[in-house]
Amino acid sequence: MGKTVGIDLGTTYSLIAYQDPATGRPKCVQGPYGTPLCPSIVSVDPDGAILVGEPARRRLLTQSSRTIYSVKRLMGRGIADVQDELKLFPFEIAPESANVLRVRLGDRVFTPPEISAFILRELRQWAEQFFGEAVDVAVITVPAYFNDAQRQATRDAGRLAGLEVLRLVNEPTAAALAYGLHEKRSGKVAVYDFGGGTFDISILKLVSTGEGDIYQVLSTNGDTHLGGDDLDNLLLARARDEILREHGVNLDTYPEAVQELRKSLIRAKHDLSSEDRTAVIFDLPGGKGSWVREFTRAEFESWIASIVERTIGPVKMALADAKLTPSEIDEVVLVGGSTRVPLVRRRVEEFFGRRPHIELNPDEVVALGAAVQADILESGVRDMLLLDVTPLSLGIETMGGVVAKIIPRNSTIPASAQEMFTTGVENQTGIDIHVLQGERELAKDCRSLARFTLRVPPGPAGLARIEVKFLIDASGILQVSAKDLRAGTQQSIEVQPSYGLGDAEIEHMLEESIEHAEQDFTERQLIEARNEAEITLTATQKSLARDQARELAAEERRAIDESSSALREAMAGRDYKLIRARLETLNAATERLAELQMNSALSEALEGKRLGQV
Amino acid sequence: MTSASTTTITAICWSCGRPAAGSHFCAACGKIQPLSHDTDYFAFFGLPRKLVLDPDDLEKRFHALSWKLHPDNFVRASEAERERSLERSSQLNDAYRTLLDPTSRVEYLLAHEGMRREGQQKQQAPPELLEEVFELNESLDELRMARAAGGDSEERARLSKTLAAAAKKFQDSLAGVDAELRKLFVAWDAAIDAGADEAARRVLMERMNAALNRRSYIRNLVAGVHKELTEEC
Repeated sequence: MGKTVGIDLGTTYSLIAYQDPATGRPKCVQGPYGTPLCPSIVSVDPDGAILVGEPARRRLLTQSSRTIYSVKRLMGRGIADVQDELKLFPFEIAPESANVLRVRLGDRVFTPPEISAFILRELRQWAEQFFGEAVDVAVITVPAYFNDAQRQATRDAGRLAGLEVLRLVNEPTAAALAYGLHEKRSGKVAVYDFGGGTFDISILKLVSTGEGDIYQVLSTNGDTHLGGDDLDNLLLARARDEILREHGVNLDTYPEAVQELRKSLIRAKHDLSSEDRTAVIFDLPGGKGSWVREFTRAEFESWIASIVERTIGPVKMALADAKLTPSEIDEVVLVGGSTRVPLVRRRVEEFFGRRPHIELNPDEVVALGAAVQADILESGVRDMLLLDVTPLSLGIETMGGVVAKIIPRNSTIPASAQEMFTTGVENQTGIDIHVLQGERELAKDCRSLARFTLRVPPGPAGLARIEVKFLIDASGILQVSAKDLRAGTQQSIEVQPSYGLGDAEIEHMLEESIEHAEQDFTERQLIEARNEAEITLTATQKSLARDQARELAAEERRAIDESSSALREAMAGRDYKLIRARLETLNAATERLAELQMNSALSEALEGKRLGQV
Repeated sequence: MTSASTTTITAICWSCGRPAAGSHFCAACGKIQPLSHDTDYFAFFGLPRKLVLDPDDLEKRFHALSWKLHPDNFVRASEAERERSLERSSQLNDAYRTLLDPTSRVEYLLAHEGMRREGQQKQQAPPELLEEVFELNESLDELRMARAAGGDSEERARLSKTLAAAAKKFQDSLAGVDAELRKLFVAWDAAIDAGADEAARRVLMERMNAALNRRSYIRNLVAGVHKELTEEC
């Protein structure tokens, strides 16, 4: 069995971290671009190769219809949920989407868990390269306010990426865990997590006991549809309006230009966190000139004030559920990139009447906490215990479309409830159960979670006794089991999720994706290897045509020619490792040639200088 | 609901087969045990069935049991142990939530003793409050009619104010009910300590039942008023 890691699968960036045995503290894995941040962006090349992260980000500007960002906003949702967002995304939602969204990228169609799985696989590869061994067990974080379907989608993504998902941990709680290490504290902590796509507020109590520290969540609230993306979308909408009014250019038909504009506006947003003013220069498509716009921080803040204010409602509700006032909170922690915005910091400080903590990097802290939890679970060495809660009440639909709540929100998990069911009509053979999440009275206003049918032996009405146990596990995911009390037998129930993939679908995807996974990775390696080989061969040909080549000994020349042919031969095949090996050989063979050229170039330069000085 | 008796069902440990006295872990081999059918939340914490509880003490017990029972301990254990852990820790959390709040604590006790009976008719007002309830309901009706008739906003504002004041009065009276319940808790504990007989305990339980019903009634009334008032905003 390989290493265990913690993963923050974020809306904008994803990270992978591990517990460093040398320091006893968590650390993020650096990616190939010198940062632990992997943009949560996936792109599909025309030849079918899958790109993730930085390479995919570049495709946003050139092939936006084949590229997807912020897929987290689509996880565990149906097509009706994302209607208004669709217009903002350049990629296409496939028409066959019903209760599982399907996104069309190029000529391939994917579900959000599959896309998230690509990101997870990329991170996994980073870690495997770093450790030099297999990584197949992970703790993955989710927004605290994610519902059951969104959690299942995340777990499904982990499975599709070939990871054993030990636990899903709530992001604010993970942050508290990382933060608690940093400075040993106890008391009441509020974690304000404002990320790219989601907002969470969690109120925790930190208690030191004989066995260690307990992180007990008292309450949690949030909005899974509120984040930095909304700030960006607002800026983009206003910019597009202005461009239309001032220059008469409608950007609807220029999706790549829209992405370019979005990129500039995001950079401006970042600038305004440290500067009072900044400017955006945007080249209008069709050569219609430029849009030059100066932004001041004050103006930006007036635009986004109402979005920031939307975070305060959930904060108040979380405090009310925890039966605390803002002044009773001892520490406030800020998590998520959007908390870098000065207005956000001011508002939080104003609300709680104390300065929030920002010592830990708001981008990394969640992944670090996940790594700590992963280590706790895997190593069994524990001096920290997380007691988290379920964010939404669990209920069953009863007569008249009313919801009967069976597990209240903010119940510590694992949590369970038992309900007894019987038949209403003689010889009824099935009892339909509809499970929902939410705080409203009516089923139609709550989130449909799943449906299932209890089998009942025929008999008079009211005779059957089926006991159903609802259990929310430590990852916040619902499990259901049923027992026929009269027969004394367990009943296996097939739960149909309202949003999301059934087990059979996942199995199928796993089979397909395991094949594809190898293929996709290999495909990409092959393309890259061939490209590099081509570049080297062309350069070699050019060098051989120059004067210095004549100074090569016969065997040296032969070695170059032979390794060039061998490389060409390998390029025609599909073994990327062979291509790389032969490329190495060619590079070694051309070393002397390169040296000759270098010396020649140097002496020319020196001569030129002397001539120049004359 | 069967009334609780003190017979212990002799269970055996699923792992080593030795007798397990219904505790969380087997005394002999240490493996986590399944829940026995007749679970008593008080016993779960190792507490007697008494109503006066120190919340700090309860929290300490809750934390101590959480360390032992939480699924974190059983990630790499057998399937059976993981299931037991899920069962027990979910029971622990439910038990803690129920016992921590005095109202749910006494409701639980009464239900366990087979003595919890809700008000015969949910609408039945406690006799001493009849007049005030009547007045409040009248104001509520007036407000509803005024709103339906698209009526005079000054009138509605006046009615809203009256209602808000009445609701506050009722809300405050809850404090009185809670104080009464606390006295009954003390009486109950004393009765248990003195080994009081069935009849004496029943009397106390009837009184607690009545207090709980009064409490529910007032809370529902106040909630109803608040609902109407929020419609006005």
